[in-house]
Amino acid sequence: MLRILIKPELCAGCKNCQVACLAEHSPSGSVWLADLSGGHGRPRNSVELNSRDLPVPLTCRHCQEPECVTACITGALSKNPATGLVEHDQGRCAGCWMCVMSCPFGMISPEALEKKTAVKCDFCQGRETPRCVEACPTGAICLAEVSPETGNNTTPGEAPKEEGLH
Amino acid sequence: MKYLILGASAAGLSAVRAIRQLDAGGEITVLSRDRQIYSRCLLPEVLAGRKDPGATRFVPEDFLERHGARWFGGVEATRLLTGEKAVLADTGDKFTYHRLLIATGASSFLPPVENIRKGRQVYGLRNLEDVEAISAAAGKGRGAVIMGGGLVGVDAAAALNERGVSVTIIEAAGHILPLQLDRRAAERYQHIFRKRGMEIITGEMVTRILLDGDDNVTGVELKGGRTIPCALVVAAAGVTPNISLLKDTAVETGRGIRVDEYQETSVADIFAAGDVCESLEAFTKKITTTPIWPLAVQQGRVAGWNMAGARRKPLNNFAFRNSMEFYGLPAVSYGLTEAPGPGYETFTRESGESYKKFILKNGRLRGAILQGDITGAGVYGALIRENIPAGATGEKLFGLTYADFFNQLEDGSFIF
Repeated sequence: MLRILIKPELCAGCKNCQVACLAEHSPSGSVWLADLSGGHGRPRNSVELNSRDLPVPLTCRHCQEPECVTACITGALSKNPATGLVEHDQGRCAGCWMCVMSCPFGMISPEALEKKTAVKCDFCQGRETPRCVEACPTGAICLAEVSPETGNNTTPGEAPKEEGLH
Repeated sequence: MKYLILGASAAGLSAVRAIRQLDAGGEITVLSRDRQIYSRCLLPEVLAGRKDPGATRFVPEDFLERHGARWFGGVEATRLLTGEKAVLADTGDKFTYHRLLIATGASSFLPPVENIRKGRQVYGLRNLEDVEAISAAAGKGRGAVIMGGGLVGVDAAAALNERGVSVTIIEAAGHILPLQLDRRAAERYQHIFRKRGMEIITGEMVTRILLDGDDNVTGVELKGGRTIPCALVVAAAGVTPNISLLKDTAVETGRGIRVDEYQETSVADIFAAGDVCESLEAFTKKITTTPIWPLAVQQGRVAGWNMAGARRKPLNNFAFRNSMEFYGLPAVSYGLTEAPGPGYETFTRESGESYKKFILKNGRLRGAILQGDITGAGVYGALIRENIPAGATGEKLFGLTYADFFNQLEDGSFIF
């Protein structure tokens, strides 16, 4: 399965990935027309400084046993069995914030404008290369084929592939 | 293998799915008192009139069919016969099993208040039928009294307030949401609720429900002597596990059905999950009931895997977490809401609609409240759950993100 791997040591902190994410999820899709002052919401990824003030790019892992999916009370969140992606159906979301409470990495948030539903990385919905990866000039985030059998975020031992309640 | 599952909510259906992952051919039967599949957490949305009952279904229409499970809705298991491995239902039918999951949930607890069982307009907020009954009674006007200012009580109050019913919350503690929030965060909600016309009475209890000659509710009397007229009462004083079918069996119970980390009960081949069970909770390290949705799903999954022959433990069993939103103000909290004694440090910050509070002990977080701005809350929850040193104190605590703990496995997974 294709996943976005992170190499913080290569990150220059330019935030091109965030601009790319914002643009991709704005009406025009264009970096030129995207409202960077908040009118088109917030990017779904982030670059945060760690305790040594070094930049770390962060984005949803599409976990093997996603805690956001486990916590979802409406069925809005699910893990796609074919792609392994954790998908969010905004139309079903009740804005209860159980997912925000449960993601140990803080990778799902209230949508910044309306604040009525949650929003998370959608892997640019079938785009060949996610826009953030494409925009990264240093290779700090890159696309890689990983085996879903090689591990699981916080579970000791292996669990069967989880697909939420779908 | 013949699986029988009692309950078709979070835990029961999660188990169906987990069993099917490991056993393609086993026979799965689900019995539930519920006639519909719905998410109980969404009942306040229905009561408020924001959602239709049909929109509370949390699995796809074809879920049971797709997982090859037979479902009998409106069928309540009344007796467990462990000797012959069978369950008797209120329909008179007998269902046999090789492996049984009890996921019958919990019911509204009715506190010892005079006339509480006699009054005709006293309801819990637990089932779709409760919502229908409350809606019918609320239509008559004259107001509602909510006994208990916990999450269910406040949800009910906000929903009824939105429908134009005049609402009074009676809470025994000094502020509403005493298990979820500290005084400051709760007061911020109380301020909003009062502005919306709700009455909130704290440090008080209902001692008697006042009835007319036909047992219709006319009001409540409080411990301090005050009476409040109302047409209906919502009892929101907690829940009690549905374990009556275990009478005269050897299945060990405390408040709920006692289970081990595999969700197995004291009787072989009988499992329990969700609100009906009690288990070792991760934050308190005590055996307690764990009545939150994420744990019902997770426990159902673990039960399902183990029923199907795997030997798997849960990710964690952390029940001390809450999320909520009232009138556009969200909040998330974990662990302690107040420092319980010396040896703790408390850090708070309040600006505009945002209020944050962190409680540290020996460099480790023991409690967190985020109200207003809840983005990134889960990181604090994970630090509390995993008992990881926060690596920060004072102002720095407010800016913690996963960048501070970044650790990536070969397949891209994050771990702490």
